[in-house]
Amino acid sequence: MNGMEQETSDGSTLIRLRGEVDLSWSQQVRRAVLDALAASRRVGVELSGVSYIDSSGIAALVEGFQNARTQGRGFALVAVSDAVRSVLELARLDRVFPIVADAASIPDVTGTPAWKP
Amino acid sequence: MNALPAPLPVAAGASEARALAFLADLSQTLAVSLDLRQTLDEAINRIAAFMGAEAASLFLLDADGTTLECRVCFGPVDLTGLRIAVGQGVVGRAVAENASQVSSDAQRDQRVDPAVDASTGFVTRSLLCAPLSTAKGPIGALEVVNKRDGGVFGVADAEILRLIAAPTALAINNARMAHELVEQTRLKREFDLARRLQKSLLPRRRRDGFPVLGVNLPAHEISGDFYDFFDLPDGRVGFVIGDVSGKGLDAALLMVRAASLLRWVGKEGAAPGEWLAKVNEELCQTRLDGRFVCALVGQCDRAGTRVRIAAAGFPPALVHRDGAFTEYPSGGPPLGILPGVAFDEHAITLDGGALYCFSDGVTDVRDAHRRLLGGQGVRELITRHAGSSTEPRLRAMLSELKRLRLVDDTTVLVIERANARGPEVLLERRFAAQPEQMRELRSALRSALDGAGIDAGLRDRLVLAVDEACCNIIRHAYGEHHSGDIAVRVSNEGSVLEFRLLDSAPPVDPCCVRAKPLGEVRAGGLGVALIESVMDEWGLCARADGRGNRLVMRKRVEARNQPGDDNE
Repeated sequence: MNGMEQETSDGSTLIRLRGEVDLSWSQQVRRAVLDALAASRRVGVELSGVSYIDSSGIAALVEGFQNARTQGRGFALVAVSDAVRSVLELARLDRVFPIVADAASIPDVTGTPAWKP
Repeated sequence: MNALPAPLPVAAGASEARALAFLADLSQTLAVSLDLRQTLDEAINRIAAFMGAEAASLFLLDADGTTLECRVCFGPVDLTGLRIAVGQGVVGRAVAENASQVSSDAQRDQRVDPAVDASTGFVTRSLLCAPLSTAKGPIGALEVVNKRDGGVFGVADAEILRLIAAPTALAINNARMAHELVEQTRLKREFDLARRLQKSLLPRRRRDGFPVLGVNLPAHEISGDFYDFFDLPDGRVGFVIGDVSGKGLDAALLMVRAASLLRWVGKEGAAPGEWLAKVNEELCQTRLDGRFVCALVGQCDRAGTRVRIAAAGFPPALVHRDGAFTEYPSGGPPLGILPGVAFDEHAITLDGGALYCFSDGVTDVRDAHRRLLGGQGVRELITRHAGSSTEPRLRAMLSELKRLRLVDDTTVLVIERANARGPEVLLERRFAAQPEQMRELRSALRSALDGAGIDAGLRDRLVLAVDEACCNIIRHAYGEHHSGDIAVRVSNEGSVLEFRLLDSAPPVDPCCVRAKPLGEVRAGGLGVALIESVMDEWGLCARADGRGNRLVMRKRVEARNQPGDDNE
């Protein structure tokens, strides 16, 4: 089933998503990401348990990424599942987001994307 | 007299020089001319004069190599047209033995046939005959009769005649080859014209749910195959397939006549038996020189269910239904042979089956082992491709036939409910246009695509694209102020998957639906971009009834074998 959990420690927030991120609740994801960025210096979205994500889910992540850059916060996708990675690849966004293996690797500040189309 | 040596021509040296001059002259005359008859006429006169003979004649071997016929002659008696068997008489012997024959005392010579003299009143005293030799053996003989000076022909004369025969044979050979070349060019022109005539008669393919489909696969040699179909005043459809006997332009011209007759009589809407009978009467009224027309005519309803056929000397029609075949043999003789004959009809209920009419070119196709495909081969061919819809099936059957050796034109006519096979529907579902419904739809889509053997990677991308399309309908077409359903239909035809989404939202202007460039870091427009990158094509338009929008997306997938595909 779909699910969203949040862990905050030492100014970092990790949002853990599970299930299929689609239009039915991507607005909740968007809100949670933006709220976390307002409260924490570093925000990670953990996606290892996500089996499906649609463009509205991707849009929530894109918005979080852009917001972090303007606010000078750290933002990364953490432990991306294959299902999510293939959609990111399809959208050619796989090299735009910082993608890290674990919460400890979330950067302090979101920099310029490693690759621009 | 045979015992005595033949007298040599006076002054051998002078004679040789004269002979050489004559030979050179004769060779030149023969070499420059391709009109054999005129040249030979002239040559035979000059040969007779040079040899000092009362008469001279030239015989040519006929095509089967058994008889010699006198083509040109000089002298008091006209032998033109006289026929002699090879081996018979002096001339026949010269050819049979490919050796010159000298007869100094013809009246007592066993080889000389006295019948010729008896019938002409001519008295043959002495004669000389040389074969017209070529690299491929003798093609005829040159004969001179009776020396004017009362003397007899001897060995030296035989040698001179042999020398004269050589350029004559060469000239005849050249002229024949030239004639063959002209004939070939003429045949090629005839062939092209006949082919154009034939093509011009074939009707255009109809795509409006028409129950008849025809194809003609030309062979190297033209034959008079044709087919036709047309609407009848009562809404039914008439069809014709035919084959004119013989080849070349004559056959093509008869084909044009037969095809027009069959069309015009057919358009009157008479029952197939009567239809054929009328055309038969008309064709029998004119001389066809042994040619005839085989044909099958019929009528069917637009749905391709009820068919009535009658055939005249045409190969049996074949109905393939539920994996079984039924044969419907011809109900009368070919057209144009016998006036006043009746043609039996067959009434067939197709019921989803297909009626195949094949010209004999199809059964005459030879496989790699030069075996005839035959009726059984044709049935196997149909069975192999029965899984696909009419057009792809016919295309597949033809490409298989093309790989085999075609000895004749191959023509096939199929009568079948249009799209009898139709597209295979993988999923059909209607749901409320709400985001909460999407999870369930995606799951159903995944199973449907798995069932169609689509690999997991492509399956997931296709599911994503359909989901994006639905989300766009939910968010943008219905929006906050409208609600309604989405009807999804996924079908597979050939190797193309089609995803059709119908909604009942206010019409969307297709120009407003645009993809954002992929990779752009901006929310919005991503859904359409994903659809574009996954699908081969997509299109959005207003529904025909004006109540909503219709979105169609297509994706070509690898052809694959599915169990049960080749069964009925």
